[in-house]
Amino acid sequence: MNHLSSETFDQNAKAALADSHLRGALKNATSLFGERRKAAAASLPNWEDLRSEARAIKDDVLSHLDRYLLEFVGNAESRGAKIHWARDAAEANSIICGLALERNARTVVKSKSMTTEETHLNDALEAAGMQVVETDLGEYIIQLAEEPPSHIIAPAIHKTRGQIAELFNAELGMPLTDDIARLTSTARATLRDRFAAADVGISGVNFAIAETGTIVIVENEGNIRLTTSLPRIHIAVMGIEKLLPRFADLDVFLKLLPRSGTGQRLTTYQSYITGVKRQPSDEGPEELHVVLLDNGRSRMLAHPVTRQSLACIRCGACLNACPVYQQVGGHAYGSVYPGPIGAVITPQLMGIQKAAQLPFASSLCGACREVCPVKIDIPRLLLHLRAEISPRQGKLSERLAFKMWAQVMMRPSLYKLSSVVGRVMQRFFPVSKAWTNGRDLRPIESKSFHELWSNE
Amino acid sequence: MKVSLFVTCLVDQLWTSVGVSSVEVLRRVGCEVEFDKRQTCCAQPAFNTGYLDEARPVARRFIEIYEESKADAIVSPSGSCTAMVHHYPQLFAGDPEWLPRAQAIAAKTHELSSFLVRVLKVEDVGASWQGRLTWHDACHGLRDLNLKSEPRKLIRNVRGAEFVELEHADACCGFGGTFSVKYPEISVAILDQKIDAIERAGVNAVVSGDASCLMQIGGRLSRKGSKVKVMHLAELLAADARG
Amino acid sequence: MNNVARETILKSIRSHLAASASYDKQEVSHGFPRMNADQNPSSSVEICGQFKASLEAVDGHCMIVRSDNEIAQALTNIIQGGRIAISDNPEVERLLQLTDLEIEELGIAPDAHDIFRFDVGISTVQAAIAETGTLVLDSTRERHRFVSLVPPVHIAIVKASQMYRTLGEVLTLIRKDKEVSPAVTFITGPSRTADIELTLAIGVHGPQELYVIIDEVS
Repeated sequence: MNHLSSETFDQNAKAALADSHLRGALKNATSLFGERRKAAAASLPNWEDLRSEARAIKDDVLSHLDRYLLEFVGNAESRGAKIHWARDAAEANSIICGLALERNARTVVKSKSMTTEETHLNDALEAAGMQVVETDLGEYIIQLAEEPPSHIIAPAIHKTRGQIAELFNAELGMPLTDDIARLTSTARATLRDRFAAADVGISGVNFAIAETGTIVIVENEGNIRLTTSLPRIHIAVMGIEKLLPRFADLDVFLKLLPRSGTGQRLTTYQSYITGVKRQPSDEGPEELHVVLLDNGRSRMLAHPVTRQSLACIRCGACLNACPVYQQVGGHAYGSVYPGPIGAVITPQLMGIQKAAQLPFASSLCGACREVCPVKIDIPRLLLHLRAEISPRQGKLSERLAFKMWAQVMMRPSLYKLSSVVGRVMQRFFPVSKAWTNGRDLRPIESKSFHELWSNE
Repeated sequence: MKVSLFVTCLVDQLWTSVGVSSVEVLRRVGCEVEFDKRQTCCAQPAFNTGYLDEARPVARRFIEIYEESKADAIVSPSGSCTAMVHHYPQLFAGDPEWLPRAQAIAAKTHELSSFLVRVLKVEDVGASWQGRLTWHDACHGLRDLNLKSEPRKLIRNVRGAEFVELEHADACCGFGGTFSVKYPEISVAILDQKIDAIERAGVNAVVSGDASCLMQIGGRLSRKGSKVKVMHLAELLAADARG
Repeated sequence: MNNVARETILKSIRSHLAASASYDKQEVSHGFPRMNADQNPSSSVEICGQFKASLEAVDGHCMIVRSDNEIAQALTNIIQGGRIAISDNPEVERLLQLTDLEIEELGIAPDAHDIFRFDVGISTVQAAIAETGTLVLDSTRERHRFVSLVPPVHIAIVKASQMYRTLGEVLTLIRKDKEVSPAVTFITGPSRTADIELTLAIGVHGPQELYVIIDEVS
């Protein structure tokens, strides 16, 4: 699969800006998503209180994560679920491949899970000789196209219907059409058999309830229900931060997540799965395995500013609101998590060296913070990461320029030699061409305000 | 009411009429304005780029200078600089000496339109300006300082001015400080959405509370040969029949 | 092997939380109030009518009836015959027999291999939620997990006494069980997607049509 790298974000972004198809698709999608979210939020008079409540719940969970995790594990295990702990992506993939191979699985059906994208699970399963079928329509499309997802909840948002029609024509032999209903029903028909034949179903988890050991998964299409009820074995993969303390807490989050993600009051289906079936003759899988993934999450607990990253419920609202994402789309970020949340968790999950550009690819406008259902202060997080990166990894010329800048700003006499400042800044930190390629530059005043005041 | 002006380094070097206009407006509504000549910068460029060790001494200098002032308030014609001062407590978190000093100065620092409407309770400063204009909500002013109705109230009282609400007035202009030169293509792509909306609005001028946004917007408008002018809120409010 | 992973992860969580303690003290507490989230003003709209409006808003069909015969009539209006899969609640078979439909094949809770043959699935429910138009299915109390999912048409028969106003009430109800049921499903309308150009398409993997018949009088 052609993955762009976070390390070349600037080049990726430039290429994206030159892609007029992409920009058109992004404009339509992000503005539609934004309008729907806004209307859905406005329909709840206590929306702001819900956000505060959700954030309070998440803060409680994250501050006591070990306790809540153990409570969840104890309850899930007592109901027959098998829990597996994975320190990193490789371990998660190895556990899942091992489970599938032990049971002689040949076909795996998957429903959309960002966590499994993060670990590149499909590559590992295929390398182990298994056939993996993505069943979420958007994921199915990008699987056929061999592309990574470009949005957290609508993975194929960057594709026009024409591009999808061409894809289905090439891969499935479907006659070209721009009728979306026909494209959808082709996907439905093609995937139907795979559900019936699959040995293993793999899903993600939206919420894991500590109090009862329940995993909760939400969807619109029905593929999650099929994936988690037809095959004999269900493997659910979740980041360790997905916990909620009590069953009742779902009320708050089920009000926030669908509205923030798609503008819906409720998604079509929610599945509440607690352990395995009571009788062998009952409907449903024989085995439930839950894989708990760390992969860098526990490190984020070390500071209140970074800890809030883990409150994310993966709604995608910040992507749609972000002026940068709106222009360049998800692929440019080189990560399965793009947009504002991606810019802050990707460096933390993958390591700052691999994603050092991302925290700087923002104008700090704060639109993301406004729409986040759990009130993550993303601009503050961006600044926190910038403060970690710049002193150590900033360009030498930039570090020197700011050292000089500080010296100048501390001394009014030096500051007054403003043309000197201007020249210094320009030599060590070339401003002009980057600015003047697209914009006229305002000339420095012949008399500063300081000087005008003196003449009063 | 005695006010100490924080004119900001950007206005000082690149847009002095904003400073001059701010003084005029404040005087017109009855304030005595002082200007401490030792002032330089609020430290936002360093803070936003991640150079906190360079930002702190400059912020301390700001605090020291203004602590000596007997003015009732520090007023600045910039939402982003005011927001920066309001972030000083974060910059000095855990510092037993500087945190309370930072909090005290932050509490005294106001953006111009906020000071006029919320503190002085003035919405009409006796301005007049002929033409059709629109307002761009600068991000820090809007989201950090909650400035939305205040500038609009002031503008609606400008005699002769026809105010139209800009589509997506609250969308970022794409400046973002060093972002504008680190990712200039993205900055301009974002900017062009704002420019399109301004052109659709059919106005003579676009007004905002931050000179940085106006530089960004104005720089693109003039590059595109547009006749639309950019104007700082202070300049609009200082305008009167004499022009 | 996995115990090593478990201990490593728990240790990492604990040590990083401990490292955070001094910074936590410096953070201004936002003091988010803990509140009863369900503070939307309670509706005075009649509850079954509210369900109907909510379901129709998401492209489901809803009929409110007042007798077994009316249920049978509604079934006749929806189904033409064909292959029908029903849940193991004897009520469903009894109501179906009140119709004079020519049924090609009747399956009672067919298993995973057989369920794909059927055109229509009929079940009852364990509860319903008026404010969202949601059906609540508990797989331990009725065998309807596949019947409500695989056939392209799902018909659900609801008693008015099963109707609740809010989602919060139903969550409380589910939690009341000493052991929460292994598989509970909430269904709100037919399956849908907007993955292609954000344009709504009804009928993806789950049923393409959902009919809910509410017996008001039960």
